[in-house]
Amino acid sequence: MVDWLSLAVPLAYLGILIGSLATFSSLYRKRKYQKAATLEPWFPAHLQRDIYFSLLHLDPSAQKEKTPAVPESVVKAALLRRAKEDIRRVLALRSQKQALSVLLQRGSVGDDLWQRFLRAEKEMEEEVKDVVAEANAYVPNWGQTIFQSANEMMNNDIYRQRVSEQQEKLAEEKEWWSKKKATTQEQFMKELNEGSEAASPSVQSPAPKSPEPASEPISESVPAAPAAAVQPSDDEAVLVEAEPSNSGTPSGGKKKKGKGKK
Amino acid sequence: MASEIDLFTQYSLYMDPASKAISHPSSLPTPSQTTTMTTELDELNALHRSLLSLDPQTFPHLLCHAQITKLRDTGNAAFRKNNYDEAVKLYTYAIDMALARPGWEPVGLAREELAGLFGNRAQAHMGNQNWPEALVDAKTSIDSKPIGNVKAWWRVGKCCAEMTRYEEAKNFLVKGLEIEGGNSEGAKELGALLVDVAAALQRSS
Repeated sequence: MVDWLSLAVPLAYLGILIGSLATFSSLYRKRKYQKAATLEPWFPAHLQRDIYFSLLHLDPSAQKEKTPAVPESVVKAALLRRAKEDIRRVLALRSQKQALSVLLQRGSVGDDLWQRFLRAEKEMEEEVKDVVAEANAYVPNWGQTIFQSANEMMNNDIYRQRVSEQQEKLAEEKEWWSKKKATTQEQFMKELNEGSEAASPSVQSPAPKSPEPASEPISESVPAAPAAAVQPSDDEAVLVEAEPSNSGTPSGGKKKKGKGKK
Repeated sequence: MASEIDLFTQYSLYMDPASKAISHPSSLPTPSQTTTMTTELDELNALHRSLLSLDPQTFPHLLCHAQITKLRDTGNAAFRKNNYDEAVKLYTYAIDMALARPGWEPVGLAREELAGLFGNRAQAHMGNQNWPEALVDAKTSIDSKPIGNVKAWWRVGKCCAEMTRYEEAKNFLVKGLEIEGGNSEGAKELGALLVDVAAALQRSS
């Protein structure tokens, strides 16, 4: 007959040991999973993708009034936009990967960030595959070209943005130039006054400046102004001489201006 | 755990039955989300319209190109008659049209086309002695197409010099010469302008 009483102690010991290990393991796994789930996604919500799926799931019968089903062209356009956003994200991931892995090796960034990155990479891989499959479902072999079109669209977008950025500088430049013109004119007038006081024959009239809008001198210029004021006009005269070499430049008006200033 | 790829946020979109335009009638929780949604849907509708206008028989891109070329030629004619305001107006129309071309066309084409148009508009502005406008346009032109665009480099240098920004002019001209090489006719003009600018720089310093 087994002595149950003497076996009870080791059995209880084993039971407690295994039980506590199991509890720890399950708790640990749960926490880890929770942590992974609460990791912030790398990219914000994929709006284009959501719109695409919302369009697919748009149920015509669910709406009050009778609306026709979403035409395929709209869905295709939505898919194209989705592909464009995908391209942007894939390129972003590709450019970040190198830097991030270096940072990770040096220990500058935490493991969390790397986990987030890997997850984003995996998601994008699946997403691209999904888009290709969807595209092939609409038109055979569209999947092979949809990302080319999307890439071109993205490049065009980037280019247009650059153009508009460049063009936005116009107001700034204009303001700068009108201020500059005002100060130059002021200096010129001052020099002119001094010149007439000294009865200098070299400066005769303020005529060459007249085509420019005559804005009122705002501030008193520094005493050193007259010396500096002569030079711009000289320079312009030199430039004007070089000008006829350009075939397309109409030089008549500027020539006159240059001569007046000499 | 459901596969991540199958999860998405459902938006209650609405499609106008006649125009097929997609809209989002109810507003989203935050105003910024609403604006993002609106711009996104606007772009989607624009893309849809341009997709619909795509007709393999008519070659819309060729038509568009022909129209732009025509506007440009008319602008050139106006420029030759020293009618700079008219030329600027025509070039601006052409630029707007070129910018509105659909996005899936090769970006190289758009760059080529717009570089020429911006360069021409810069020249017309220079005819009017509107240096800041000309400078911005010429800069856009070299940004669109830095190589083989010697005229635009010259114009940037010229505009900066006219506005007495000699240092900037010199930098642009040196860069232009680097890119264009020193042998062509245009490069010689760049060099001549550079000499002038350097002389002016020396005098003013």
